[in-house]
Amino acid sequence: MKALIDAQNISKIYGEDSNRTVALDGLNLRINKGEFVAIIGPSGSGKSTLMHILGCLDRPTSGKYFLEGKLVSNLGENELARIRNEQIGFVFQAFNLLPRTKSIKNVELPLIYSKVKQGERETRARLMLEAVGLSDKLNSLPSQLSGGQMQRVAIARALVNKPLVIFADEPTGNLDSKASQEIIEIFKKLNREGRTIVMITHEKEVAGKAKRIIAIRDGKIVSDRRVK
Amino acid sequence: MDILETIKLALEAIKINKLRSILTALGIIIGVASIVLLISIGTGLSNYVSGEFAKLGANSIFVLPGRVQVGPQGGPPRSINKITFDIAERLDREKGPYITEISPLIQLSVTAGYKGQSKVTTLAGTKSTYFASSGIMAAEGRVYSDRDDTASRKVVVIGKTLAADLFKNDTPVGKTILLSKKPFSVIGVLAPQGNAGGVDIDNQVLMPLSTARKLTGANQVNSILVRTVSTKEMALAKAQVEKVLKRTLTEDDFTILTQEQLLSSILSILSVLTMALGGIAAISLVVGGVGISNIMLVSVTERTREIGLRKAVGARPRDILGQFLVEAVILSVFGGVIGITIGFLGSLALSNFLKTAVPLWAVLLGIGFSSTVGIIFGVAPAIRASRLEPIVALKHE
Repeated sequence: MKALIDAQNISKIYGEDSNRTVALDGLNLRINKGEFVAIIGPSGSGKSTLMHILGCLDRPTSGKYFLEGKLVSNLGENELARIRNEQIGFVFQAFNLLPRTKSIKNVELPLIYSKVKQGERETRARLMLEAVGLSDKLNSLPSQLSGGQMQRVAIARALVNKPLVIFADEPTGNLDSKASQEIIEIFKKLNREGRTIVMITHEKEVAGKAKRIIAIRDGKIVSDRRVK
Repeated sequence: MDILETIKLALEAIKINKLRSILTALGIIIGVASIVLLISIGTGLSNYVSGEFAKLGANSIFVLPGRVQVGPQGGPPRSINKITFDIAERLDREKGPYITEISPLIQLSVTAGYKGQSKVTTLAGTKSTYFASSGIMAAEGRVYSDRDDTASRKVVVIGKTLAADLFKNDTPVGKTILLSKKPFSVIGVLAPQGNAGGVDIDNQVLMPLSTARKLTGANQVNSILVRTVSTKEMALAKAQVEKVLKRTLTEDDFTILTQEQLLSSILSILSVLTMALGGIAAISLVVGGVGISNIMLVSVTERTREIGLRKAVGARPRDILGQFLVEAVILSVFGGVIGITIGFLGSLALSNFLKTAVPLWAVLLGIGFSSTVGIIFGVAPAIRASRLEPIVALKHE
């Protein structure tokens, strides 16, 4: 079966000579459609760099990255923007909602860049907010929402363009345990519905909710196991 | 992303950051408002001058001694006065069908005295016809007649201001005043005429031309006022004057000015003034542009996370560039429109003192200039925003 994500011998090196830092060191990774993967590792292990490359936010220094069979590691900035827009959804630790902007407008954002018309944007954004249980917060501003609610808006935004995969970077890092629990439940539900989720976390308990846990250290995969 | 979406996006961003948007536009508002206001003041001055000239009568030609150039290359006359009374009289004899009146004028500054009071005033020696053709009448007493002139009688008619200053509450008519220490009897006081170009024309003494000649001993006239039948015959009359004068004088000895010429030269000076005022205002507009650039740059830094997020969800560099550029332009044009409104209101407020007017070109200039400033000064911040690396921008605190 062809992997959704196929990273081959990926390296990422920052700086030169004495400042040279190897963030990823010839890493190989395959993730299939429908998986729920947690990537764990101490800070500086290279897990964020890996997610940036898999999320097409950054390019590897060497190696090949195929997304749904298509080589994307050598694409230009505009093509990468298009892939991020159409095939990838992001959830960030700090939520990254536009301040002073209503929930529904925040969720509409990716659709603006894929030229979806205003009316359809609103319909789709509303459906997504309803799916994450925020049908009563459509017109709320981020400042009027709790952390858990903000992260749910962010998830709705990640989902609105029906991406192939969702990348979540420490999605529970800024949340209390109850809100964390809610967010993880949403991810699990999404995964049951068939969505592929790749989540970075340093919390063991959160990682334990995933179906597969990949541990990274010094830019290499040190363990890769399935959770029953 | 099409331009309509970009504009919508920019408008939303402007609405969301109201205070910052207003501050950004402020520089442009002030710049455009001052451009419009200063140009309207310049226009008002031109209107005022034209109006004052119209009061002098449109069918006049002035003959001045020497070569006088008006306009930017102008300077003092270069030769001595060769226009004598003989020449003026010859002109009168040969005035032809288009000229109704030749009026030589002696003009000098004198000190007028009465019972210990004294005042510096302008003495003008004119023919008696001057009163009728200028429409000036005596408020008290009478004006001098042709007979007074022929007999060189020592009579004067004085202006209202001079009368009030010298005579206080006394009646001037019938009294004797001293001009250059010689006695003259006042036969009339002129009706008030007010100001002409800032000069009080009620502070003057008029006397018969021959009397003035005797007083000054001058053989030359200061100017000759030529009245034509109508404005249409101006050119023909001018040609006639030129023909007669050239018989005895060279081109460098006299200057013929028509009302039109004087007016247009003064207006050209005023238009330079208007442009200079506009230029000063334009500088403030550039300062406003730097303000836009400055605040947009701050805004790029402040919105780095927003830019990062937009990129993460699929914005291409050119989408970000477009958004920031359109934001800058909208703010500038918006500032321009408000500036024009304020300038216009200012001009209305001033119209009580000066006939100010806001010409269409000033409005267009204001809008054109402000949008240009917006584009020029919006480019740098927009480029910076579009080049931000998404991962760097997302992590920005």
